[in-house]
Amino acid sequence: MYGRRASQLLKELSSNEKSQLTAFNTDMFGEVLKECNTHHLELQSLMRKIQEEGLDMQTTRNADHFGAVIHHLSLMRNKRCLMAYAYNRAEVIQSLRWMVGPVLPQEIQAKLNQSEKEYFKNHSAALEAYMSELDLDLTVDMVPPKDPYIRVRLLDDIGDDVVLDDQTHNFVRHSIHLLKRTDAEQYISQGLMEELSG
Amino acid sequence: MELGSEEGLGISSEDYDSLIATTDVELLKRAWRNEKASPEILQFQTSLVQRSREQIQLMEDTVEEFPKNCTDPLTVSLYQMDLDRMLFVLRSYLRTRLQKIEKYFIHISKSDLWNRLSDQEQKFAKKCTDYMEKHLQRSVLSHLPYGYQSILRQSISSEEDDMVPEPRLDTFVFCKSKGSVGAFQLDDSGDEIVDLVADDLYVLRYKSIKSLVESGQIDLV
Repeated sequence: MYGRRASQLLKELSSNEKSQLTAFNTDMFGEVLKECNTHHLELQSLMRKIQEEGLDMQTTRNADHFGAVIHHLSLMRNKRCLMAYAYNRAEVIQSLRWMVGPVLPQEIQAKLNQSEKEYFKNHSAALEAYMSELDLDLTVDMVPPKDPYIRVRLLDDIGDDVVLDDQTHNFVRHSIHLLKRTDAEQYISQGLMEELSG
Repeated sequence: MELGSEEGLGISSEDYDSLIATTDVELLKRAWRNEKASPEILQFQTSLVQRSREQIQLMEDTVEEFPKNCTDPLTVSLYQMDLDRMLFVLRSYLRTRLQKIEKYFIHISKSDLWNRLSDQEQKFAKKCTDYMEKHLQRSVLSHLPYGYQSILRQSISSEEDDMVPEPRLDTFVFCKSKGSVGAFQLDDSGDEIVDLVADDLYVLRYKSIKSLVESGQIDLV
């Protein structure tokens, strides 16, 4: 059946949880692209047939015409599906910049294809250019602040001479600190600290 | 940032309300709420953002001065909190706008919404468009047969751009008017007319009150 592979591709995308990615399905993607080209060849041969029979392309309404229309529509549908696949993935990749930061962890990197990796880098650079022009970091402060200070626990060693706010902190694993929320947020998003609530 | 209590200043509560409603903090909060609730991007508040940033800078300097003057730690922390909140609103405002641009850059750059962006946002939108085009070109479009390679149109036989994501303007929004707007016509046919009373809450289609939001007569909440 025409267009089935493309819809499988999208089903795979929509069955993911929001803002989660699976590896780029290169095989299926390639299959759909191949299908597109087959449709195009069929379409062209039908059009040629209509012409050879000496009929007017605009007004002919015979079997060949409707065959051609079906190939045209299937091709268009496949295109929409492929574009939706690539575009929606790109949107998730954009949102990673906000949630994870400028450097993606290895396990996410592995799920992107070459063009997507490049897109992430480019998009991230565009955002950084905007922020540096404004001289304001927009990726911190994602939730409304309640208290200027929060209690955090270190999940990993960061270093014993980190200077924040004119104070030297000894950031070793499992130690607990009271930090300014704005200072701590960058570490939390990198997964180096966790906030202790209550 | 807050003014003292009304008794302390000896002004009537009405004056106080109108005074509070026109401080930059309130204006920024209003712009932020509108931007958050509206499906499409609104006019960038150039001078308001400029003023807010200057005030934030001033507050940061003040807070930094405090420890040297041995001010009460509680006072410092209150100022710090106020500062943090204002910074949050400002960041969230700019962020909400960027996220709309990320979503609808093609639609924005083709329509007169383009003029609503700040210079920096326009630069950002341009880059977004370039990179997304490059990415889609490389992964999908360049592999498709001739006639189907446009990013804007489904195929060469489409008469207009039919592949551009657009915000849904007929979505419902909550809104509240500050002053009485009076009878307002919701659709072109004139069948539906709503009497907008001050401070009443309404749920209406964004499309129909778009002009009131743009002129500032009504606020989204």
